[in-house]
Amino acid sequence: MRRAAFLQWIGLLVAPLTWIAQHAIGQGISQVSCSEANKTWGVSNTEWQIVLLVVAGLLILLSEGAAIVAYRATRAQGDYDSPPPLGRIQLISIASMCTNVLFLVIVLLDGIASIVDIACRQS
Amino acid sequence: MSELAVPRTTQARNARAVARAAAERIGFPAGWWGMLMLIASEGTLMGSFVATYWYLRLRAPHWPPAGIPDPKVVVPMAMAGVLLTTSVPMQLASLAVRAGRLTATRLWLLLAFVVQSGYLAYELADYMDELHRTAMTRDAYSSIYFLLLGADHAHVFIGLLLELWLLLKLVRGLTMYRLNATVAIAWYWHFVNLLTVIVIGTLTSVNVV
Amino acid sequence: MTTIELPTRQRVDRLERMWQPEPGVLGWLTTTDHKRIGLLYFWTTLVLFGLGGAEALTMRTQLASPNNNVVGPSTYDQLFTMHGVTMIFFFIIPMTTGAFGNYLIPLMIGARDMAFPRMNALSFWVFLASGLFLYIGFAAGSGPDGAWFGYVPLTTRAFDPGRGEDFYALAIIFNGISSSLASANFIVTMFKMRAPGMSFNRMPTFCYAFLAASFGLLFALPALSADCIYLWLDRNHGTHFFDVAKGGSTLLWQHLFWFFGHPEVYILIVPAFGIATAIIPAFTQRKIVAYPLIAIAELLVVFIGFGVWAHHMFTVGLPTITVVFFAAATAMVVIPSAIQVFSWCMSLITGMPRFKTPLLFIAGFIFMFVNGGLTGLMFVAIPFDQQVHNTYFVIAHFHYIIFGAAVFPIFGGMYYWFPKVTGKLYLERPGQISFWLIFVGTNLLFFPMYIVGLLGMPREIYTYAPSTGWSAYNLAETIGGYLTAFGILALLGNLVVSYRRGEPAGPDPWNGPTLEWATSSPPPEYNFAVIPTVTSAYANWDVADRERDARNLADGAMVLDQGHETAVSSVADGRFSEIVEMPHSSPWPPILAFCLAMVFTGLVIGKIGLAAIFALLCLVSLGGWHWKEPQEA
Repeated sequence: MRRAAFLQWIGLLVAPLTWIAQHAIGQGISQVSCSEANKTWGVSNTEWQIVLLVVAGLLILLSEGAAIVAYRATRAQGDYDSPPPLGRIQLISIASMCTNVLFLVIVLLDGIASIVDIACRQS
Repeated sequence: MSELAVPRTTQARNARAVARAAAERIGFPAGWWGMLMLIASEGTLMGSFVATYWYLRLRAPHWPPAGIPDPKVVVPMAMAGVLLTTSVPMQLASLAVRAGRLTATRLWLLLAFVVQSGYLAYELADYMDELHRTAMTRDAYSSIYFLLLGADHAHVFIGLLLELWLLLKLVRGLTMYRLNATVAIAWYWHFVNLLTVIVIGTLTSVNVV
Repeated sequence: MTTIELPTRQRVDRLERMWQPEPGVLGWLTTTDHKRIGLLYFWTTLVLFGLGGAEALTMRTQLASPNNNVVGPSTYDQLFTMHGVTMIFFFIIPMTTGAFGNYLIPLMIGARDMAFPRMNALSFWVFLASGLFLYIGFAAGSGPDGAWFGYVPLTTRAFDPGRGEDFYALAIIFNGISSSLASANFIVTMFKMRAPGMSFNRMPTFCYAFLAASFGLLFALPALSADCIYLWLDRNHGTHFFDVAKGGSTLLWQHLFWFFGHPEVYILIVPAFGIATAIIPAFTQRKIVAYPLIAIAELLVVFIGFGVWAHHMFTVGLPTITVVFFAAATAMVVIPSAIQVFSWCMSLITGMPRFKTPLLFIAGFIFMFVNGGLTGLMFVAIPFDQQVHNTYFVIAHFHYIIFGAAVFPIFGGMYYWFPKVTGKLYLERPGQISFWLIFVGTNLLFFPMYIVGLLGMPREIYTYAPSTGWSAYNLAETIGGYLTAFGILALLGNLVVSYRRGEPAGPDPWNGPTLEWATSSPPPEYNFAVIPTVTSAYANWDVADRERDARNLADGAMVLDQGHETAVSSVADGRFSEIVEMPHSSPWPPILAFCLAMVFTGLVIGKIGLAAIFALLCLVSLGGWHWKEPQEA
């Protein structure tokens, strides 16, 4: 139960925080690499986006794994209607299993597109 | 679930009773969460200013613009370091108050207050000096520079007012309200100290990045 | 009926005496009772809603026929600016969070008040002051005229020299203080003040919705404040944040504005989702389908909503590799909303729906929200977005969402909780009529805007030529606008008449699922004579727990009457942690709000010295506020 309680927070929080970082840094890098000042900075959009995509993808998968483990460890003893802490762990891990998939899709979509698309074409 | 098993924390009237009640309760009290909310909000505001600095810098061909000297690095970073060290007495005050040791609490707070006031006095003099040499209205660089730095100093000033208030309150003894306040104000200072390091780091980064 | 019957007279009398408010007007001025503060917000926002509506009707009258001259262009500019700012900052947010949130959340979580009662009062008085600040400026001829999103360089001193945009920048910051304080209060209240036993998996979905909106406001408002600080400094103190010639950036305004602005629109509708999710179980008499998914969807839609801001900037020339980040997130942000729509529909289909007026408004809301949501999704396609940007298509989309997804549940909620707040039942037949008037009116008002937008009618134009072919659509929209206004007046009239002549409602006319129905109508000052026992998310349907409460009251357990007391619990699992003494009435919130208002007044008229003096008085007021601790009061 202790381990499930800890993993449930990993499952809930790591994926969203990872997405924030990949999103903020990724869109920032893309703007910088197309700006006037990039002659001095020399930022390579493709390199950064690949690294961000891989790291973010792995962290989100980790988060999902944690959520699944927390869910399976507690589902035999009850569900989200059960008294806390079991019910609360079930609620959070069920919710996380769904949200982590969504974050993975967003990261894959924008990561791949920002690499594959023509750099610095005005939208 | 019985109300007899749970402390009536606002009724504790002396340091020992307050410390005992604080140890019995579960989790952080509402006042500490409130301070966390303030830190989140102010942190986002200051984060917006920092993001603005980088946004303007990353589209400027020259930064600082021609005619403005590069900012000094060593003294500002050293001063930020000095401020950061005051997190130690603040945290010690926070631990002491939860143990009910009132004199230790007052002394740690006083020590922190003296160092932090000295820091702010020096920094304000420096700020006014820089303003005389380069007007805030010169260009976008000076606009964000003086706003970001000024906002940081304002947060330090508020921290000093909070601490002074707390010191005056603690003269009359310890209550749960004052214990919660001490811990909350310690967290505020950890936030301000970290913020100062980030702000000074940002403003002096021209020499490094 | 599962309510607390036969209270022990002595214990209740003691509570009544302990929680007695100050009498008369002074009582209202110094109140810290969340229910009174909720009512103050309610009436104030209704007045502001009326003003915003009058602005809208004036615009609609002007646009009813081509080349009209009801108002001129500069007045028209002020009208659409004031309408947008009023409806968003001075109606929807304070009505949902300030009125509904304040009144209901402590009741739903089984608490006696918010975590910070005096700060709650401060939020209201600051809100009122900020509304007066903006409207006094408007009345004095200095209304802002740069649209609610205030784009630079149009709103810089060079292009907009009057005082209007200074009122805009300062009023937004001023109002933001109220909302930030309120959000912090809601979050801490929902974390710490839940009745013991109410763990996260037993918290009502209404609370999850308001938690999401509060987190959103907390993190979004500072970006807007930063933007407005830059605008005010550029306009009044010669700085160059937005001045391209001196190294500034006009896009800086847009990035910061929409970083706030997009979460803001989710903040507008998520509390309304909470109202819908509270009403549906009551009128279907079944638990909501997929409770864990609804709970997380509320939080998720606001969270992902923080990452889509540049979809408001698809026409400014960002590189495509930047734009894809926002298009991807925008496409995915639909999913949590869709999850909720499926859950509501399944709950209606698998329950036994009684289409009383509140549920009618929720059905209307689902229809309008799906409509507006689908057109919102269309904007993800960047070429399409670039075609319809700044046309009436956009106005149609967001009014379907804001009116349909925020205002319809507000109206439904007014009917649903009317019996709780007043102790009377509303009149059902007139209620249903008011729904149909508003439903037909809003569809007639907003649907033609899609068409006329696709035909090329831009936003914010004060008139148009007959040769454009837009006249018939605009006339239809104006008729729809007046019909909507009539429907709203019918609704308000119904509530007034019901207040005077309605049947007594009793504590629980709907067999509602949540704890506000477990106490009297209206609730006593102390909400609950006994801190409720909670073992599920539908506490009022747990007969055994409500009977336990009655036994507790008879035994004198969990009555918490040694002072102005309430229970505090742990965050995740609601374990009973401590009993605290709450502040009672206090004059400091209105005093501090007044001092703050004078600071902003000094700034807007350019008297910095006046502002500085009152800033000092603000600090003095804070000192007065904290002089006496709650247990000393």
